[in-house]
Amino acid sequence: MAISHDDIFQKVKEVLVDALGVDDDEVRPNARLMADLGAESIDFLDIVFRLEKTFTIKISREELFPADGLLNSGEMVANGKLTDKGLELLKKQLPHVDMTEFQKNPTVARLADLFTVEAIVKFLEHRLNANG
Amino acid sequence: MEDNEVMRFILIDKIIAVEAGRSIRTVKALSLAEEYLGDHFPTFPVLPGVLLLQGLVESASWLVRTTENFAHSMILLAQARNVKYKSFLAPGCQIEYAVTAKDIQEDLSSFFGEGASGGQAIVEARFSLRHFNLADRRHDLAGIDAEIIEALKGRWALLRQGQENRR
Amino acid sequence: MRWIWIDKFIDFQSGRSATAVKNVTLAEEHLHDHFPGFPVMPECLMIEGMAQTAGILVGEARAFKEKVILAKIQKAVFFDFVRPGDSIQLEAAIESISPEAAATRGRITRQESLIAEIDLMFSHIDQNLTGIPFPKENFVFENSTFQSLLREYTSRGHDGGPQARVVHG
Repeated sequence: MAISHDDIFQKVKEVLVDALGVDDDEVRPNARLMADLGAESIDFLDIVFRLEKTFTIKISREELFPADGLLNSGEMVANGKLTDKGLELLKKQLPHVDMTEFQKNPTVARLADLFTVEAIVKFLEHRLNANG
Repeated sequence: MEDNEVMRFILIDKIIAVEAGRSIRTVKALSLAEEYLGDHFPTFPVLPGVLLLQGLVESASWLVRTTENFAHSMILLAQARNVKYKSFLAPGCQIEYAVTAKDIQEDLSSFFGEGASGGQAIVEARFSLRHFNLADRRHDLAGIDAEIIEALKGRWALLRQGQENRR
Repeated sequence: MRWIWIDKFIDFQSGRSATAVKNVTLAEEHLHDHFPGFPVMPECLMIEGMAQTAGILVGEARAFKEKVILAKIQKAVFFDFVRPGDSIQLEAAIESISPEAAATRGRITRQESLIAEIDLMFSHIDQNLTGIPFPKENFVFENSTFQSLLREYTSRGHDGGPQARVVHG
């Protein structure tokens, strides 16, 4: 049974309001989880657990958020930018995220901006309707 | 007055700034002399997370008391949400708490609070307090309210000795 | 002040749920500060009681191999206060568990009265490199008091409880 983009967005909004303590109206599609909504490492795990319960699916943290191992690895990140290897790994982990803009200047700071509310909704749309 | 107790349950050491109705900044110094560190943990003493929250709660409570002029004896944590622990606080270090009031009403107040040590974020929390007097429910306890408030006023004076902008 | 905020387990379903009891007594020094003339158990220490109940439950679920650290209090809501002479029950259940973390839900009751609802998140810090330094050995579960609480529960002849496990430092 396919679930609409809007339904997914509403449920994601509820999860983010609960997990991050932000207001309803702060959760806009282009809101960045870290810069705009204050999400940190433990919050990513909180969000993943809540999404698993809400949508009855299994999600591993790397599918939605940058793995700690990625950001802390000398092979993946050098001088504040992702290496080719790092970019490759990232694309593999997050096929639902459009990297074209990011690739032009793949700094760690800009990496955080990829993780928006809409990115989560797109991921879920893909996952849920593929299995529906 | 119970002045002969060995361990004091006070999780802040001084108030460094206060703006009634709005915000408060306090400091806690952590020392190996604090007994519970022996259990938390034996080979890695760090201030327990709930005592970081208690520091924020105490800071907010003093803001309420000075704002409402010690109208209530009892100020208790009503709820805490999205309390996040970001790093450990070790003995020999100090933590500075900064608490901002979102709303202070007669019997309920809400806050956002943060604690940091040497530029490192340690804790952040959103929480609410409830304030009341024992006499609200039982008239015979009005005397106890008065005693508690007197004791708290004494503690307030003690904590404010370190304040930058004394009023 | 010893840092142990539960007194015994009365139920333990490995990997699922656990219930502990805490007695509140005037013999506890900190009560006399909170508040002088009308002692009540500090809410933050009730949260710690729940964190210890839930933390032992989560730790035991992974054979105490992980360093289980309280990382986030999702919510802690209090409906009443607790006084000396009261006995409270702390009930925790695992909501979610993964290699890096666990989420638990819990309730504190005093007989039929609901005292608090407390939902927590624990981080398995070995799996969750945060760049913060900590010792290699399992400083969380070396605490012999936690182990003796579980041993004592098992020795009272309960089935389905925790396996007797040795914590490897």
